[in-house]
Amino acid sequence: MALVTTQETVVRPPGLEFFINGQLYRLDAGSGIAPTMTLAALLRDQLGLTGVKIPCDQGACGACTVIMDGKAVLSCMVLAVEAAGHEILTIEGLPADDCVVQAFAEQSEPGYGTALQCGFCTPGFVMTARALLDRVPSPTISEIKEALSGNLCRCGCYAGIAQAVRHASEIQAKAAAS
Amino acid sequence: MKQAYTPRVPRSYVGAYRARIDGPEKASGRAKYASDLMVKCRVPGLLYAKVLRSPHPHARIRSLDASQAARLPGVVDVLTFEDPEVACLKPTNAGWCGGEVTLSYERMMWPRFRDRRVLGSHARWVGDEVGAVVAAESEEIAEAALRLIKVDWELLPFVLDPVDAMAPGAPILHPEVGDTNVLPEDTVGGPDVFVNRGDVDQGLADADVVVTATTTYHNATQNSLDNWSCLIEWNRDGITVWSNSYEAHQTRMHISEMLDVPLNSVRVVCPYVGGQFGRGDTGEQPFFLFTALLAKRTGRPVWFRHSRRESFHDGRQHMCYEGALGAKRDGTITALSFNSIGNVGAYADQSMFAIKFAPVEAAVVVFAHIPNVRFEGRGVYTNKMPACMMRGVGNNQLNLIMGRLVDGLAEELNVDPIDIACKNFGHQWEELPDKSLVTVLQTGAARIAWTEKRHQPREGPIYEGVKRRGVGFSFHPGWHTEWQQPRRGEVHVTITVNPDCSVNLDAPTVETGTGSNTCNVLGCAEALSFLGVTSGDIHWISTVDTDVSPQDCVQTDSAVAFLQSEVMAAASKDIKVKLLERVAPLLQATPPELDIDAGFVYRKDGVGGRWSVKQLLREASLDPITVAVSRRPLGTRTGVPFIATFAEVEVNTDTGQVLVLRLVVVNDCGTVMYASGAEAQQIGGQCIALGETLTEEIIYDERTGFPLNFNWIDYQIPTMADMPEIDPVLLEVWRGEGEYGACGLGEGTVTCTPRAVLNAIYNAVGVRIDSIPVKPETVLKALGKIGS
Repeated sequence: MALVTTQETVVRPPGLEFFINGQLYRLDAGSGIAPTMTLAALLRDQLGLTGVKIPCDQGACGACTVIMDGKAVLSCMVLAVEAAGHEILTIEGLPADDCVVQAFAEQSEPGYGTALQCGFCTPGFVMTARALLDRVPSPTISEIKEALSGNLCRCGCYAGIAQAVRHASEIQAKAAAS
Repeated sequence: MKQAYTPRVPRSYVGAYRARIDGPEKASGRAKYASDLMVKCRVPGLLYAKVLRSPHPHARIRSLDASQAARLPGVVDVLTFEDPEVACLKPTNAGWCGGEVTLSYERMMWPRFRDRRVLGSHARWVGDEVGAVVAAESEEIAEAALRLIKVDWELLPFVLDPVDAMAPGAPILHPEVGDTNVLPEDTVGGPDVFVNRGDVDQGLADADVVVTATTTYHNATQNSLDNWSCLIEWNRDGITVWSNSYEAHQTRMHISEMLDVPLNSVRVVCPYVGGQFGRGDTGEQPFFLFTALLAKRTGRPVWFRHSRRESFHDGRQHMCYEGALGAKRDGTITALSFNSIGNVGAYADQSMFAIKFAPVEAAVVVFAHIPNVRFEGRGVYTNKMPACMMRGVGNNQLNLIMGRLVDGLAEELNVDPIDIACKNFGHQWEELPDKSLVTVLQTGAARIAWTEKRHQPREGPIYEGVKRRGVGFSFHPGWHTEWQQPRRGEVHVTITVNPDCSVNLDAPTVETGTGSNTCNVLGCAEALSFLGVTSGDIHWISTVDTDVSPQDCVQTDSAVAFLQSEVMAAASKDIKVKLLERVAPLLQATPPELDIDAGFVYRKDGVGGRWSVKQLLREASLDPITVAVSRRPLGTRTGVPFIATFAEVEVNTDTGQVLVLRLVVVNDCGTVMYASGAEAQQIGGQCIALGETLTEEIIYDERTGFPLNFNWIDYQIPTMADMPEIDPVLLEVWRGEGEYGACGLGEGTVTCTPRAVLNAIYNAVGVRIDSIPVKPETVLKALGKIGS
């Protein structure tokens, strides 16, 4: 981005503020934000938040899902500049004992398989599921299917993932009750 | 209700329902994949490489002018096919791995089909990497530079259909290989008639019933999410490669042999890989070479990655089978004849593995009791995306025709196809009926309620006025078993017991998601149970680094879990010997006087007490006890286990939509190594299998040769909302040699589903559909509701 030059002083364009995982980032043109940069590229390439995966970069797989102002969004479909001023949560920002992470990691009961295999789509599924449970604490199976049908898992762990979301919902309810 | 499997031998760790060992790392997003190591903020000086791709299905570069591209600010280097370091490179192909083992240039598979040039000037499909590669400060700049390269193309006539490609006068893709597009006979695949037992023509003539069919399998692709990439540095110390390749030592061999650098000067590091499904076993690997050359020329780390569009670089062979089956009235099959044409696309790669090699294996293990069998097959070059390896290689296409002929014969004779299967199919070393096949089919039938739900074609109840339901199944020999793996060479495992009794396990294999890592840890805990360690005490090394790791066990044939577990069982015996030698002096005993159980050492004569292994190790020398074992699979002939899929479908006769209501996936495993992981493979395989059956298909513009749907919006992979209920069924009937006698599982889970669904559709609506994918218009055409 070109700097605006007046007669005697160099005026920087106003910095952009991002609230990412509870932390304030102030980035300006010098930090390498181009107008065409996506939020996914900003998070991964500039900030090193590599839990954000970019398999397709065209909004088709959900692996780059982050939560923006409480809503699951595809970060490859959001421009970095659009995200300025908004609160962004990536998988790195979830608490270590988050019930969705825990349920995805532990899924194993007979008949459903695990909730992950190669694990590449997992951060996206976890964030989509997290946003769902924030909105609907006890989703039905069809609500789970609808909410998560924008995410692709080529290892095909859909049955395990649906179970993990149910388990996360139960863990969450228990924690709320106690 | 979901049913847990019943183990033949209850064990403490092997066969468990439990979480994956990498669950916490992967679920929290902490797991590092190769592309995570390559982000700009972590690699100072990183350059991005992009390669020129042909916009034409068939063309030659007359001349190429990259001067304008080289002048674009941010472009650091442009390498073209005319540069001497590129022009001197030998022609190559995908055969650096014989399916399992790393091979040198002279011994690589398919020596007759060295049909790929690194950055050549002859483009053979839209997307072919040719001419030039650019290194720049950003991917955007590299892409912009490619657009500035002026290419004078000589457009050549192209051909997409293999039958057209076989006709006289068709444009020849590889004059250096032969003067037709039909791949010549080769040393691995054999002649065009590659199985010829008995007299098929006589067998068909003598039969009371002859069933014939033609089936077509389309060209699906693997679609792993982690697009193939590499980051390469080349300095005085040699070449270092970080990649999501799935076979580190093979990648090292390929780079060493092609760039003439000693093996120990090439270091390949492979951390977690985000899915594979056959993806990395392709001829597309020249990207490692031009990326390395750019790293050498620029003196900077260079990253090359395939975009999503470019990740459509290889897939399954689009294959057409004609089949004929002859049988007696009592259902005894007298003859089987298959004739196939495989569209291999622009390069031969490993296609002959699918067209000839895999069917030969199947013929040995499943058609052994049929007196007259003939297989004829041809691979044909066309100007389409190359085919190569994909989960279920070759077997999927064969199953589509095999299951059709069995179902057709049962219908002719008005008997249950399960009876036809059990009466005829089995391994040459097994008596008929094969115990594994009978159990697999009976169990699957019970789970889907076969007897209750099956009816005469189109004679079931009608739902909502227009919907009809049906059931179908298909079966196949499982792969692979231990005796099929000696060609893999030595399997390496290193176990280190530390002085605190914690364990480091180096069972080198690239973790592509298969779950072999958890199998490894369970197998190790089982083998070391005498130490009193639990699976939690074992640290599995997740990154393969050729500088420090023994040769990795390549993630093919679904064989890694059981091969490494058998070696671990052997290594644990050596650990015991070494440990007793270590602690015997402390107990004033000789090693033969001692034994260990559940973490305690005791005298065999019962004198004295029991001493904690942990305590003794701390009192001994504190040197870790390390045992490295490598050995070849035993190769003891034990027959094969079977697999099957049963499907229930609902067909809407108004819209043509096929809804799969339920799948039952049955695997005889020998021994289940890790139950949750095995069921994840059974369930997960259906994403590929149902996708291939119903929605996935690469579509070309026949007029221009242009592929139209190299993206995940138009190429439709099933989502959670598309998948039916899946019942995974694990059995332990057959048993292989060794401590566990397990077999491969993951690859075969995709093989039987397409045919099972097609047979179920026939049962529902009474019309045969023998090509996949089955889209609604296919069904409506078959029903005569729309024109063909």
